[in-house]
Amino acid sequence: MSPFPPWIDRVRPLLAAVLVAGPLYALGLAYYVSSPETVDVGYSPQQPVPFSHALHAGKLALDCRYCHSTVERAARAAVPPTATCMNCHRLIAADSEKLAAVRESFTTGNPIHWVRVHDLPDFAYFNHSAHVTRGVSCVSCHGRIDKMDQVTQVETLRMGWCLDCHRNPEPHLRPRELVTDLDWIPGEDPVQLGTRLREELNINPSTDCSTCHR
Amino acid sequence: MSSLDQPDSNGTYWRSLGELSGSPRFREFLEAEFPRELDPSGMSRRRWLQLMGASIALAGVAGCRWPREEILPLAVRPEGRVPGEAEYYATAMELGGAALGLLVTSRDGRPVKIEGNPVHPASRGATHVFAQAAILELYDPDRSRGLRQITGSDAPSREWAEFSAFVDKHLQPLRDKQGEGLAVLAESSSSPTLAAIKARFAQRLPKARWVEYEPLSDDYVRAGAIQALGAPYRTHFQLVDADVVLCVDCDLLCSHPNAVQYARDFAERRDPVSGNMNRLYAVESGYSVTGTAADHRVSLASSRIGGWLARLEAALAPRIAKEQPANGEVEDPVLSALASDLVAAAGRSVIAVGPGQPPAVHAAAHRMNQALGNVGKTVVYYAVPDPERPGHVAGLRDLVRDVNEKLVTTLVVLGGNPVYNAPADLKFAAAFAKVPQRIHLSLYFDETSRAATWHVPRAQFLESWDDVRAYDGTYTVLQPLIAPRYGGKTPSEFIATILGEDPADGQTLVQRTFRESFGEADFATKWQQTVHDGLVAGSQWPVQTPALVASQGTTMPDSPGLAEGKLEIVFREDPSAYDGRFANSGWLQETPRPLTHITWDNAAILHPATARKFQIEPDTLVRLKHRGRELEMPVYLLPGHARDTVTVTLGYGRKAAGKVAGDAALEVASVGADTYSLRHSESLYFDVGVEVSPTGKAYTLATTEEHHAIDSLGKAAREERGRELLREGTLAEYREDPEFARHRVHHPPLKSLWNEWSYEEGHRWGMAIDLSKCIGCNACVVACQAENNVPVVGRQLVLQGREMHWLRVDRYFWGDAEADSPPVSHQVVTCQQCENAPCEQVCPVAATVHSHEGLNDMVYNRCIGTRYCANNCPYKVRRFNYFYFHWDLEKPENEVKKMVYNPEVTIRSRGVMEKCTYCVQRIQAGKIVAKNERRPMVDGEVRSACQQACPTRAIEFGDLNDPDSRVAKSQAAERAYAMLAELNAKPRTNYLARIRNPHPSLDKTEHEHARHTG
Repeated sequence: MSPFPPWIDRVRPLLAAVLVAGPLYALGLAYYVSSPETVDVGYSPQQPVPFSHALHAGKLALDCRYCHSTVERAARAAVPPTATCMNCHRLIAADSEKLAAVRESFTTGNPIHWVRVHDLPDFAYFNHSAHVTRGVSCVSCHGRIDKMDQVTQVETLRMGWCLDCHRNPEPHLRPRELVTDLDWIPGEDPVQLGTRLREELNINPSTDCSTCHR
Repeated sequence: MSSLDQPDSNGTYWRSLGELSGSPRFREFLEAEFPRELDPSGMSRRRWLQLMGASIALAGVAGCRWPREEILPLAVRPEGRVPGEAEYYATAMELGGAALGLLVTSRDGRPVKIEGNPVHPASRGATHVFAQAAILELYDPDRSRGLRQITGSDAPSREWAEFSAFVDKHLQPLRDKQGEGLAVLAESSSSPTLAAIKARFAQRLPKARWVEYEPLSDDYVRAGAIQALGAPYRTHFQLVDADVVLCVDCDLLCSHPNAVQYARDFAERRDPVSGNMNRLYAVESGYSVTGTAADHRVSLASSRIGGWLARLEAALAPRIAKEQPANGEVEDPVLSALASDLVAAAGRSVIAVGPGQPPAVHAAAHRMNQALGNVGKTVVYYAVPDPERPGHVAGLRDLVRDVNEKLVTTLVVLGGNPVYNAPADLKFAAAFAKVPQRIHLSLYFDETSRAATWHVPRAQFLESWDDVRAYDGTYTVLQPLIAPRYGGKTPSEFIATILGEDPADGQTLVQRTFRESFGEADFATKWQQTVHDGLVAGSQWPVQTPALVASQGTTMPDSPGLAEGKLEIVFREDPSAYDGRFANSGWLQETPRPLTHITWDNAAILHPATARKFQIEPDTLVRLKHRGRELEMPVYLLPGHARDTVTVTLGYGRKAAGKVAGDAALEVASVGADTYSLRHSESLYFDVGVEVSPTGKAYTLATTEEHHAIDSLGKAAREERGRELLREGTLAEYREDPEFARHRVHHPPLKSLWNEWSYEEGHRWGMAIDLSKCIGCNACVVACQAENNVPVVGRQLVLQGREMHWLRVDRYFWGDAEADSPPVSHQVVTCQQCENAPCEQVCPVAATVHSHEGLNDMVYNRCIGTRYCANNCPYKVRRFNYFYFHWDLEKPENEVKKMVYNPEVTIRSRGVMEKCTYCVQRIQAGKIVAKNERRPMVDGEVRSACQQACPTRAIEFGDLNDPDSRVAKSQAAERAYAMLAELNAKPRTNYLARIRNPHPSLDKTEHEHARHTG
């Protein structure tokens, strides 16, 4: 005699369906939630102009602040106006096909539609100047931009990730004048250096909610 | 008629007549933080769970990915522009013919917040409610979006070229005839540029006429000055120097064109510590903001005030001459105290008369100011630039006569809305329709536009180059913060266009005036400085010293006796709609009017005893019958209002205002009743002989007076508590015991259940609100709404107590409701940022938590809407989003409304609790700037929106850890107290007890000090 009651027979096809569909669903869900567009790490949309940070910031070694000129005094590092591109590209590669959109924007005055890569939720208020002037480098959040042809997000930019640093900032601090030097390596223990800098500059990262949410 | 009542330790405070009578509605608001009886949805909890379960099953699939966002940088960034950062530009707003200097915050080329210009004499950094709300008007989706030609019921859009063609074709013959048949009907304006253009207009078209009309006219003020001084001199007061101020039917601190400056000057003399407090007397029919600020108020029908002032004049004469007053000449103790005060403060007193009083009363005030030696000291005169201009009503009456005689073929209406707001007896609308060509320049496609043949969009002041004069004549320049959104023109530009001037753009026109006024030399530097500052320093008019006209007669209008069964009707400017021009502002409509706390309506305001006399019940409609016209409107019973008088405010019942205030074409019902329909040109501001009768129809006004009442068990306990919430005393009381306010409540030593935080390091934000200075003008309420994206909920939800204002002004009456003038006090209540915050203890999801600087942070994205926090808040300052109040943004025509939001503050969605944050976005911005510059923060660097807007500087905000900060000093004052301190919530907001300065002979409390609760 079977230990199972007879009505269980009628459930068996359902059980089979669940056993097959369940893993498939889990797999699909796992794929969905781990795709770059969902978690953001690895998100790398194509831009209307194939601007290469690897070329400009890497090979040509332009300082980040040449284009992102407001990063030290404003919330936004700001994508530069078209005029900034044209400062050089009036003369350099003036006829390049890749720059057609830039020239068009400059002539018509219409903006270039860049795609935002690092996108925080609208209820999170991030301020670039507050970080850069304390000696947090661009590389801490944006990675080795100077090696990217197309900008890719390398950190999750989630709240937990923000708080990791706000609670323990020392490893991420460096002398202020070196924040845009993306391949800088501290000559000493980064934590020791960070502790000293933190002391010097009186850096007290806040973990209060209203620091970022208002 | 006495105003002997002074709040003392024996009387009680109450918020409304409903509270006194213990109405069920009041109990509902008192007992339930979220009144249930008033909830019309009627949905059971079970049904709600079923629906929500179904919604959750369907949701969850969408919404895991961010939307793709784009960044659109400018092609060429203007020099100095930092994307997303605030920039400040000086400009000004004109209202009532006087400029208020403003400093407007702009982000990415988009004006988002209006503040006062600190260097402008009329503003000194503060604003009134209308200036705060102007930003919403700029982005009002109901504004006119272009030229229209109106033929019958059709109003197709037109291009400027088509209008120019019309002007060329139609106006050329008029120009040939030197303007014969052309008339301009303008609003009153102090713009020197418009005056110059008007002069050129008169030169080019000598036979054309230019008429000015303003419904809130200063006709009687000017006529009074002519009667007393021979010319329409403008009277200006130096309230800082005035020891005794008498306001005669005059809301000097809130409704005067120069009210912001006067409120500040007045409040500077309300500090008991300096020992130099002024004393304010008010005699008035309605209860005005000035009346609540007064030390003594006499409640008197407007038509009897002239006689009262005549008695004062008679009482003054012997005192000034140092003669013995005739025996028993003055029986009225207030009048006698006032007369002796005025004479004792001769040369340092002010008698101000409101615009509604007839010329003879103004003339009497001029004589008395002269006799008291105030002229040249506290009362100064300026010559007005347009002394020959006829009165507004006279001008309009002549225009209507000429139209009816077919002498006018083209009428250009330059702003204003005369079809709506002309006195009813002039029948302007009927006359207007007879003019063949009617052109209306207007911000909205309103009543007058719809009756015109052409509608021309007007540029709002934030879109305009213009110039105006402050009340004292200071030359003030307006610069545009944004290009005219719908191709609007300023009045100057429009007239210049009609005259065929080229160029006719505002900047050129203003620069031309500037050159003519301030010389060609060094123009560029001077102009740049002026645009930067917003004014030319020291350009006020020279002070005049006119002599009194020798024989002006001293006859005062006798009180026209009231026939039995008839009342006096008083017309007043509305605290929200003004004359109707701001009716379409949701912010202003929802601002509880001072005193009545009515929102979304105007009402016939009566004294409770008068209402009883005519069998009028509260919460009903009454019928007003006056000079053959009838109007039904809701009634509001206001203690302290003059008996036998009904006060109505103007500016409601709009039929073509927009989707907020009413639009007949769109079938949007009008808000309120059109009281212009009862107004007669002979008696603009008050008239006798109105009949008031009950209709029996029920109507509930959406008044917030009973909302968020702080509860205690039972009426007696609540009365006891009233004195604890709002503490006040007289100057004498204060001198005897400066800490009297603290002694009002005694409680055992407080011990916290929790480990208390230490705030010794870093900042400790706090606020101090001086009840002596607060006049209850509401500027802070609207400023908070503008700064913090506070939604508008509408009349229906206000009725349910669901208004969203983070900051409310509680109004308390004191004593006997039947007294002639029960004293009123205001108390601004907003989140007190308790150190031991009760709200924080009950939040199950830590959506409201404490910051290290002592703020109760509210984290919207964590909030799940249990509302436990609001239930546990003793101050009742938390507000819940029952709906998604920003839903209308999704309509394409409302795209422009998105521009009004402050990008620094989250827009809250449905189901989320919100409250005052001490403007934490401003705190953060200030901290970041200071820290980037490696310097400590300076006191005053961060100001909350309410503090910044406050005309009287009643609100101080800052760091309590800085002993030199203004707020720390305020909180250290002896009269500072914390509300509900006995709960040990440790609020960061402290109040400074209100100190009244009654005349010693009228101070009842003087004799009761022995019984002072201690």
